[in-house]
Amino acid sequence: MSGRAGSGWRRGRLGSAPAPGRRRLKPLRTVVAWRGRAEWDQVMVGLYCGDSRLQQDALDRVSAWKSRYGQKMPLAVDCTAELIRCKVLDSSGRLKSHELILSYGLALVRFVNLITERKQKMASIPLRQLAREVDIPIWVVDLRHELTHGKLPRLALCRKGCDVVLDWLRKTYWSRQLGNNLCEESEDEDEEEEEANTELGNDAWEIQTPQHEACQKHKEFHEKVRDILISYKNEQFRVMQTMQSASKSRELWSDSSSEMDWILAQIKDLMQENRESVAAALLSDGFLIPKMDCLKLLNIKYEANKEVWQFKIPQTFYCFWQPLLTGLLSRSFTQILIEKMFMELKECSDSSELRHQFLISWISELLTGIAKVNAGKKRQHCNKQVSVKELFLHKVPLQWIRLTDSCLEAPCWATPHLLQLILTIMRPRLSRTSRKNLLYLASIYTEGGAPLSSPGLSSDSSEHPIYTIESLQWRVRQENQVKNQGQTVEKEDDVLERDDGVEEAEEEEEEMVTETNPVEGLAHPGNMAAVAERRAALQGSAWQITADEVQWKDFPLGKLPGQTDDPDGLMLDNYSMMSLLDQPVRDEWKTLHTNSAELKIHGTGGLLWTQNDFHKIKSGLQLF
Amino acid sequence: MPARRSRPRRALARNPARGARAETAWREFAASFARAGMVPPAEPGLAAVEAAEGTAVLLLAPRQALTFTGKCRLRCLYGAVRLLGFAVASHHPGLPVFSPATHCALSLEALPGARPPAALRQLRAAARAAMRAHRVRRQARVKVMARFSSDCAVVLLEHLDTPVTRFLLSHPPLSRLFEPQKKEESSFTPEDAVLASVGIVKCSPDRGLLVSESTYLALEELIQACCAEDEGIPVVLVCGPKNTGKSTFNRYLINLLLNRLPAVEYMECDIGQPEFTPPGCVSLSSVTEPVLGPPFTHQQTPRKMVYYGQTSCEQDTERYLDVMKYVFSCYKKEVPLIINTMGWVKGEGLLLLIDIIRLLSPSHVVQMDVCDWKAMAPLTPEHVHLQAGLHTKGKQQPKCKQLDVGAAESWKCSEGEDASVPQYKLLYVHPEFPRAGVAGEARVHSGILRDMSILGYLGHLQYPDIGAVLPLHSLVPYQVPFSAVALRVIHTDVAPTNIMYAVNASWVGLCCIPDEVRCQTDGPVLLTQTPVCDCLGFGIVRGVDMEKKLYHILTPVPPENLRLVNCLLLGNIAIPNCVLVGQQGIEGEIPYVTSDYNYSILGAGKLRKKKHFKRKDFTFECDYT
Repeated sequence: MSGRAGSGWRRGRLGSAPAPGRRRLKPLRTVVAWRGRAEWDQVMVGLYCGDSRLQQDALDRVSAWKSRYGQKMPLAVDCTAELIRCKVLDSSGRLKSHELILSYGLALVRFVNLITERKQKMASIPLRQLAREVDIPIWVVDLRHELTHGKLPRLALCRKGCDVVLDWLRKTYWSRQLGNNLCEESEDEDEEEEEANTELGNDAWEIQTPQHEACQKHKEFHEKVRDILISYKNEQFRVMQTMQSASKSRELWSDSSSEMDWILAQIKDLMQENRESVAAALLSDGFLIPKMDCLKLLNIKYEANKEVWQFKIPQTFYCFWQPLLTGLLSRSFTQILIEKMFMELKECSDSSELRHQFLISWISELLTGIAKVNAGKKRQHCNKQVSVKELFLHKVPLQWIRLTDSCLEAPCWATPHLLQLILTIMRPRLSRTSRKNLLYLASIYTEGGAPLSSPGLSSDSSEHPIYTIESLQWRVRQENQVKNQGQTVEKEDDVLERDDGVEEAEEEEEEMVTETNPVEGLAHPGNMAAVAERRAALQGSAWQITADEVQWKDFPLGKLPGQTDDPDGLMLDNYSMMSLLDQPVRDEWKTLHTNSAELKIHGTGGLLWTQNDFHKIKSGLQLF
Repeated sequence: MPARRSRPRRALARNPARGARAETAWREFAASFARAGMVPPAEPGLAAVEAAEGTAVLLLAPRQALTFTGKCRLRCLYGAVRLLGFAVASHHPGLPVFSPATHCALSLEALPGARPPAALRQLRAAARAAMRAHRVRRQARVKVMARFSSDCAVVLLEHLDTPVTRFLLSHPPLSRLFEPQKKEESSFTPEDAVLASVGIVKCSPDRGLLVSESTYLALEELIQACCAEDEGIPVVLVCGPKNTGKSTFNRYLINLLLNRLPAVEYMECDIGQPEFTPPGCVSLSSVTEPVLGPPFTHQQTPRKMVYYGQTSCEQDTERYLDVMKYVFSCYKKEVPLIINTMGWVKGEGLLLLIDIIRLLSPSHVVQMDVCDWKAMAPLTPEHVHLQAGLHTKGKQQPKCKQLDVGAAESWKCSEGEDASVPQYKLLYVHPEFPRAGVAGEARVHSGILRDMSILGYLGHLQYPDIGAVLPLHSLVPYQVPFSAVALRVIHTDVAPTNIMYAVNASWVGLCCIPDEVRCQTDGPVLLTQTPVCDCLGFGIVRGVDMEKKLYHILTPVPPENLRLVNCLLLGNIAIPNCVLVGQQGIEGEIPYVTSDYNYSILGAGKLRKKKHFKRKDFTFECDYT
């Protein structure tokens, strides 16, 4: 539908997206009207609870949703609210049966038409057929027909229709929505797209149909890989059961069996098709990153304390996966897997998380394995009398500059260690000073071992902390002191430039990073001056610059420090109404209104009220 | 998937071709023939030379044009160039120029002008001096001068990076906004590399503005009217269906007028895609700078603005007219006025347009339409005179004659005329660019353009001297007590107890009502009707503090204006999704953002705009077959 130029532009954008698939698997993030799940649940329960006071509360909340959504209000929510409104009116006893029939009637007609209209294609399809397709009882369609073209039905039938339809909405919309059925694609493909395309924000607004199909295919592929991985897990558990204990089964696990060979063959086959996806699946929860129950099954005690780990994967767990990994870790797959691990690490904010720990340890294990095999030391080291097999059988030359980049893009407390590993293994090596400086910079960056997500909190010293190259440069410029820091910056630049030379393709991504890399907070002296100036300009006004010492960057829009997720948190208990009866604006125009020869208002057949009167009447109305 | 474009390496640009010197000599030789008038100047490649890091000097032969996408700062060093109608000469300061892939590309064109009768040597010296003054490297100067002729133009292009553009580009969907759609030519000349290092890429001339004959004639006539002093100050109303190039026409007209006048005024009635403000506003702006880019690059504070709160006016046309009249009353008739209107010209929209013409009494109406007049009838003065509008009546009704004609003059721009006959000149414009007037064929979805305007506006929240982009949520907000500002939701009725659910993390108009905000309690003050009042700017309600009863608001409105704000209007304009979705560094859930909402479930989507289903011959009975 969109112009050639437009779609070309969009496609152009897509072309630059990181490899396909890395992102796609993440479900689409969209903006909705509720703050969080709690609010959604509260409204759903409220609407369907049967108590008309609570129902009214839920309807009131839906009125706020409608404001947020504007024209994009989900049809099902709108229809549900309209029908519930009828029920609330009904139970209030304020309306007579005829009036109720009219109310129910309109709500029912709107439901049938609006819901089925979304299914209409180019030529109109009979309503009955559409209704049958989506499982709306035919008699409800007949009721609609009766309401619009025939005699008004009896109230009892309307009530029944309302209940049936509400139930349909609950089953097809409310209880399926926001469930765990992550973004499955379905019959109505173009629906989502249209939704997404009108928005700039959706990650996928530029995804056009071919991409969309690709996305769906991707999901299927992902599922396939997962299935095989699950069968691998099951097989290993089965082996373990025969041995009664995890520690004893370590040896057996690495013995090849026909079942295991079949699994490996399958997954290698899939790898030919898309390595990225296989890597993604391996790193999704429950495989290389275990869930708690899996650890329990393997009798592994999980220690949240990172010191205990020493960058090692618990042995049993290592042995559990070693056969599979050894089978898969080809040169290209190793590169992809480690890069993917760094990417995951970047997104994993909480350093105490299982995921975080396992990612760091896996990266470390892989790198150590590569170091060993590349150094030509092919030995099995013994530990607790159990041989631990190596992950790599052959030398794996990797694209080390890329890995260095990936590593630096995912800063965390372990970065210096991982970086050191990479710098030691990499061939050709970086110059000694570059290595030193990179490591130095990395440890400054991850100073104090603060988790990635809140580097600003770590430093409570009065000095402005150093976070990005920009801020370093800024600092150098501003103060023109601390010589060796300045040099570090230059060296860093050197390194980056060299990277450019080696990896031309990387240049863009690098730029993206520096572009979006935020300078943390507003602690810049220059900004402070601007803030002070503004504060002075607001002297004596109701408007102020928020003075609280708040790390605003930790709080998303719509959330303030100390605010909970309580869905009732924004309810008002008191407010006052104000009418603008004597808006001078109006008065000014009144003269024009009354004098204007052309306005209908003064024609005999014109409006009975002036705008002013009209607003007086309107302001007297209370809608709620 | 298209192959990844590799950006031209800067190294390439830095390294002037070794063979250039020999080439220079040859070109000089060729140029001497041209100068002597022996041969017309052959179409030479562009003479673009890197002047310094991130800047380039460009020499354009007479009438040579460069159509490009990208952004840069442009300064004319010698001669004159024209850019979307605006003539840039050497006395102009550096102009920011934006030509994103989403819009019609800009063309830079050397203006053949009358040269001062100076000797070529003097002219060369002047050009050389200008280049030296702008620190153009010697090597580059030599290269440019080699192609110099007295009627060429030399411009300096500088890399442009403003806080606003940085902010826009920091949003993933827009990060390639200023990059070319696709590489049009596979061969990459050194000149291309030089331009690319500045931030622009040459594209084919047909991506640029196509000015039709009728457009040209209309512009000619309007310029004459605006510059003639005896005929009163013109008020030009531009109308036509969607996607016929109204905005581009307006920009072109503004620029042409600014060549001759110090300022023009611009009244924006197209609340869907305003030129100088975020969407949903009717505004009056004084324009003194040429418009060299799409709206999101030149968001500015208008002289008068009212927040209507919707992107279309059909829900409340009366308030729309009220708002329009309110804004129009600020026009002092000192400089020409250009009025832009909505693209809604079907059915009631056309009637509304007739109301508007009647109420604003323009001196010229520019009606843009594709040739067949399918969308709208010609709006001749006679037609408008007779036809009833949506809220006004046509003149043929006898009762109108009884009305006081004298009083109606307050509506007339040109004084002393018979109030019953509209006096304006109708100018037809037939755009002739491909896809003109075809609905749904716009380059970019209107919703995306709106989001870009909002982002362009929010870009003013960025601090100028920091190289990096500060995410919105990291900025220190303003705070204001509930009781100090009145609140109104424009577009729908929200239960008062739940109003903060609508306000939180929403886009609000920061307005000023003349009434004092009275409040019995410390709770919020809710207005019972939507006021027609000044809007001073916009903000994001960053949070609502229910305990301290404070709104926290992020806004670029300067403090001296902010202190006047005593009313928040909440309309049907939303914060762009990418702002909410793209918040980085947040632990835990981001409010209003979910990945669990499934659009594929029936009923999960919005109400679709009525598409016209082709009903077959069967009627409702078919429901039962």
